[in-house]
Amino acid sequence: MSKSIQTSFDVIVIGAGVAGLSTAMQLAKRGQSVVVLEREQLGNGSTGRAAGLLGQLRGTAESTRMLMDGVEIVLDLEKQADVEIYVQTGSLRIAETPERAEEIADLVTMGKSIGFDIEHLTQAEVAAKLPYMKTDDLLDACYCPTDGHLQPAELVSAYIKVGRKHGVQYHTNCAVTNVIVTGGKATGVETVVGEFHAPLIVNAAGPWSYLVAGLTDTVLPTAAICHHYLTTRPDDSIKIDRFSPAVRNRHHRLYTRPESDGLIVGMYGEEATEYDMESLPSDFDMSAMKARLDDILVATLVYNAGQRFPWITERTSMTITTGIMTFTPDGKPFCGKLPDIEGLFYGSGFCGHGIVQSPTIGVIMADLILEGETSYDIDAIEADRYFDEPEFQTRVDIKAAAYEMHSGYYGNVEGRKQ
Amino acid sequence: MKILVTCKRVPDTDQKIRVKEDGSGIDDSNLAYVLNPFDAIAVEEALQIREEHDAGEEIRIVAVGVGIAEYEAELRTALAMGADRAILVENSNTMDPWAVANTIAAIVARESPDLVLMGKQAVDDDANQTGQFLAALLQWPQATFASKIEFGGLALQVARETDQGIEEIEVPLPAVVTADLRLNEPRYASLPSILKARKKEIEIIPYAELQLDISPQLDLLSMKSEISQRRCVMLEDVNSLMEIIRP
Repeated sequence: MSKSIQTSFDVIVIGAGVAGLSTAMQLAKRGQSVVVLEREQLGNGSTGRAAGLLGQLRGTAESTRMLMDGVEIVLDLEKQADVEIYVQTGSLRIAETPERAEEIADLVTMGKSIGFDIEHLTQAEVAAKLPYMKTDDLLDACYCPTDGHLQPAELVSAYIKVGRKHGVQYHTNCAVTNVIVTGGKATGVETVVGEFHAPLIVNAAGPWSYLVAGLTDTVLPTAAICHHYLTTRPDDSIKIDRFSPAVRNRHHRLYTRPESDGLIVGMYGEEATEYDMESLPSDFDMSAMKARLDDILVATLVYNAGQRFPWITERTSMTITTGIMTFTPDGKPFCGKLPDIEGLFYGSGFCGHGIVQSPTIGVIMADLILEGETSYDIDAIEADRYFDEPEFQTRVDIKAAAYEMHSGYYGNVEGRKQ
Repeated sequence: MKILVTCKRVPDTDQKIRVKEDGSGIDDSNLAYVLNPFDAIAVEEALQIREEHDAGEEIRIVAVGVGIAEYEAELRTALAMGADRAILVENSNTMDPWAVANTIAAIVARESPDLVLMGKQAVDDDANQTGQFLAALLQWPQATFASKIEFGGLALQVARETDQGIEEIEVPLPAVVTADLRLNEPRYASLPSILKARKKEIEIIPYAELQLDISPQLDLLSMKSEISQRRCVMLEDVNSLMEIIRP
């Protein structure tokens, strides 16, 4: 490595996806010298393939609070970096079965109880908002006008722009090959270009995070699961407004939002392709992933999309985006440290929701790294919740648990055990 | 009417392709294989011809592959897209375009198609020869680099992409037509079609059974990777960029 390169920092962040970039930016804003080490290019892993849907009303009041605070951070980032990140399209949930209608009723009650802007919509109101969607079978719907999506590429560029302003250094093509531990404390990493040293190290390596954890013989229960979404090309006969609301249609396992006069439709299916990251080439580039023309999961996606958007068929002009998501056994990320090694922190396992969680996760990570505590209630996302749990130690068990969580992600009716 | 479509199995060239250290070929460990994208366009075109013209007269689509047993996966792709049948001429030896063209000519003699649709080239070796060889061997008219095909029963109107512009020609059937990139956009197979394709049989013909005596016209001497001389540097600001690009 050239002598002119700085190799000693306060914090090393492994991985330049949104989790690592946001954490690095927040740490630097608090005066830390930070380096981000990325095996490939900035924002080119799961981040680069994400749809970025922002549905703020999720599960608990605390996770909703985190997402709402995230929007504030994004609005500030937009000013500082002069880019448009947050596209406030509003979002809909729709129900075509009594169970899903109950789910929506519960959601509206929960939302209203915490002062979140949410309302029921009639079938006619839904049809007026989304003329390109089949609505005649809907029993209920709810609308959240402050939802929308975050544009992943713009978010990445803002994190980097603001991070750089505060002194963050970014090294690409710089894969970490070892984590140096001395006397139970992390002190640095070895990379393909040489060693870097810091008393604090953040593993934000996304689907690779369990492999990075493995460098210190730490078990991180994450699994890499393939995901597809389609993007229709603009079509004069199907007008899709740039501010059409996003839709979550859990019955058909679909999510959708507008994109460049076309429509993104993705699916969390019952089945999925799993990856063992260690079996991929060392220079694997996620942006080169491509679905086969006869991939049954893509066919299922197109089929399900056609159930809600009847104009979408296999003959529709579209692109298929393929990427890898990092899933955990309970669908929640791992944030914070584990009892085994001092100075080593984790920010990984965002289960397809990393883009929208990343603004607040950066704050939480910086809190935990520098203060050892945070004002957020992080019980549900604390990194050590599976530590030494005997049923989450082998890859086979971890993969099975994460796969099961993925299968039920949109399938299960919320608030009810299947 | 019968349309024969050729299907080659090629590495997905969006991946990083490495050449073996001894230069004897590409390193195929970890490589994902796909149906040659130009062949997928040829399959799509056959499907569209059938969809538009299959009124009363039945149009059958037969996919043909020449190569190792693993070709079955790519022939399944063609079947899932909608081809009616598939034939694999199984041969574990490497074949050059001349040998492949002769083999397909033998299949044409057996199958008597009215039209052979092929990709203009395969993205692995980019030879762009098999279609032309085949037309010559069959003594059929050929239309290469097709970017538009209009099917008129006894003849095809074909728009060809040439360096001078689009050339419009008419070819009487039977003919060999090779597909260029802009001809169409291949579909993703539908769910029912994938399920149906699982039941379709692939006819396997051992290469020896064709009793062809073809001597190779090509010897692969060695392969090597192009080493990029391009360098990327991060610039501090727009002014430093201006200094570089200003004459």
